Amino acid sequence: MSKNAKNESLLLGDEAVGFAAIDAGLTGIFGYPGTPSTEVFEAVEAEFKKNGVANRVARWAANEKVGYEFALGCSYIGKRSMVTMKHVGLNVAMDPFVNSAITGVNGGLVVVVADDPGMHSSQNEQDSRYLADFANLPCLEPSTPQEAYDFTTYAFELSEKLRLPVLLRLVTRLAHTRGVVARQEMKEPTDLGIPNSESRFNWVLIPSNARLQYQRLRDNFGQLLEAADDFNKFKKGDRRGVVVSGMGKANFDQLCKEEATISKFSKLEVMAYPLNDSLIDKMLESCDEIYIFEENYPYIEDKFIAKTRQTKIRGRRDGTLNIAGELDPGVLRQALKLSMPEKKKGPTIDLPARPPRMCDGCGHIDAYNAMKEAFNIIGVSDPRVFGDIGCYTLGAQPPFEGIDTCVEMGASLGMALGAAMSGQVPSVGVIGDSTFFHSGLPTLISLVESKVNANFVIMDNRITAMTGQQEVVATDIIPQLAQAAGLLPEQVHILTPLPKKHEENVKKLVEIFKNNRPDLIIFKRDCIQAMRKGLYAKINEEKKAGGHGHE
Amino acid sequence: MSSDKLYGIIVAGVGGQGAITLAQLFLGAAWRSRLHTMQSEVHGMSQRGGSVNAQISISKAEVTAPLLLSGAVDLLISMEPLEALRYVPFLSKNATIITSTEPTINMDNYPDINLILGALREIPGTILVDTAEHAKKLANKNAGNMVLLGVASNYTPIDKTIWHTIIEERFASKGEKVVVKNIEAFDIGKKIIAPSS
Ligand code: SF4
Repeated sequence: MSKNAKNESLLLGDEAVGFAAIDAGLTGIFGYPGTPSTEVFEAVEAEFKKNGVANRVARWAANEKVGYEFALGCSYIGKRSMVTMKHVGLNVAMDPFVNSAITGVNGGLVVVVADDPGMHSSQNEQDSRYLADFANLPCLEPSTPQEAYDFTTYAFELSEKLRLPVLLRLVTRLAHTRGVVARQEMKEPTDLGIPNSESRFNWVLIPSNARLQYQRLRDNFGQLLEAADDFNKFKKGDRRGVVVSGMGKANFDQLCKEEATISKFSKLEVMAYPLNDSLIDKMLESCDEIYIFEENYPYIEDKFIAKTRQTKIRGRRDGTLNIAGELDPGVLRQALKLSMPEKKKGPTIDLPARPPRMCDGCGHIDAYNAMKEAFNIIGVSDPRVFGDIGCYTLGAQPPFEGIDTCVEMGASLGMALGAAMSGQVPSVGVIGDSTFFHSGLPTLISLVESKVNANFVIMDNRITAMTGQQEVVATDIIPQLAQAAGLLPEQVHILTPLPKKHEENVKKLVEIFKNNRPDLIIFKRDCIQAMRKGLYAKINEEKKAGGHGHE
Repeated sequence: MSSDKLYGIIVAGVGGQGAITLAQLFLGAAWRSRLHTMQSEVHGMSQRGGSVNAQISISKAEVTAPLLLSGAVDLLISMEPLEALRYVPFLSKNATIITSTEPTINMDNYPDINLILGALREIPGTILVDTAEHAKKLANKNAGNMVLLGVASNYTPIDKTIWHTIIEERFASKGEKVVVKNIEAFDIGKKIIAPSS
């Protein structure tokens, strides 16, 4: 995208975060792909590729926990690092997240977590602000692409000042919104050196150290409040008031341009956490009625409700806004009882939905077709198959109805094995290769020992397809892994999901399903989209050079 | 777009048709015209052959909200007729609809196309563009989106030369020929005007 004299360009919220990290002297960015966070990493990776990466690194990890640990290691040696993930990824990275608050950091560490209010591409809409709170860490919440840039820049400084990781919270609508962003001059990677003799033992969380460090974390809470106070703005106005954060702020500010009355409200803008009680008190003193627009759990709202009986708190708890779902201009107008526009009259015919679907010719389709027929042949008329997260999740829909669950990364295998051990025959779990490396590997180890009729199906296309075809940490090693873990060669089956192989695959599956033992089935075929983009050339080249995965 | 009021545009289509690219051209053109602008788009699962839309706000005043107010959208550009109908409820009473007549049938229950086009014709302010025909005439199978953009450009306060620059920048990496072909298609669209209603 072209730039102008003010060093402005049009960037996605995600890209603004990535560029800010580079400009702030970032050394390492790590993470695991997940909508809507993926483009933060990709923006940095693309820049590194374009401009050379001397002393800098962008690397996808097997999962968010590993990504977080990469970033923490980078910080340990004094460099600025960033780790990116979607909201549910933070659940996976909880262990290092919470404990890095106890150890503290060295080089600035910014944890970018993109929440998904409205669940556009997620299994829940959990609110990461609670997790920052839980870990006693500061959290910044931008509301525009420019703020995404500015807050990221500041987050690195804050992280080094407080010696703590800083959580940067994004939501889908900011992550995937393009706007004008002015960039600052790019800094060379910074380096604070390794922890000195004084701070060296902070990192060793044996109880005697951990107690001291935890006490210090709690004692420093005042510093966190001070840092947040610099961001949060209170403005006294009418006895009606509003508290806004993130997309609540973005939407309310827009609305103020159209509605003079609401721009006179008393107003508290929350852009950083922890939120100081004194700001809540100021709002409560100034208002008889307060609207709270935040994305998306009633996090700030509950703090207000806890402090008042007199002031009416209008938000998600009293039904002014729905408890679930994302904010938009219409939701705010309705809450504030403002006029709604006169709409165009719509069509009178029923419009069928057009849900996303697997690409024509995708190997997943052939795999599901073969499984369906195999179940039929062995006489299971209503099979229940455990599924996972990836393009193949779309196989839950008709006409395939090939999986019956999608819970969290790796759940397919754990649930299939749990069901098998509890009496399900045959039990089948379907998972993609990237999801397998993310969270399925430990379950494979348990499979070997189980001796039950559990069948793990890996849809192996050697790419993280759904999020836009990112590289997987490793390719073509699953059969060796399985055998190293103790499966016999005859328990590992590599099938090619192609229409012309249908009969052969069905026959094989029937045998496997009937066999009363654990089996691993690898449906192996490259993703058509990744093939079209020419993404396998690099992977194949690396293979020839004798390595797998990155380097 | 005369007053200070925010001008809202929805670009709709089926995942993979290029709705986001088209929206980005709008964003770039508005920015070049020194207007305030913002654009939101969908990524991820929804891009996989499902219904997609991108929203663009253009204003003389600062824009902060990524999403448009449903029922107040001024212009709908749709690359697919069924998708055009889907977004009508987002439009304001006097909004303009510019849609391709070429269906993308990637579902079993796609309604009779004549029913769809008939419904569209009944909505005031609708311009049906036979993108397939234009693509054939121009011997450019990708011409449709640029023709639609050309038609839509008549409803924005953006200068023709800026549109040409934006198209040039966007497609420069694909070579001179692609740029020329796209501008040709855009100019044809620009000449299409609404049937008097
Ligand atoms: S992107 Fe690849 S894996 Fe996903 S549905 Fe399309 S072909 Fe299949």
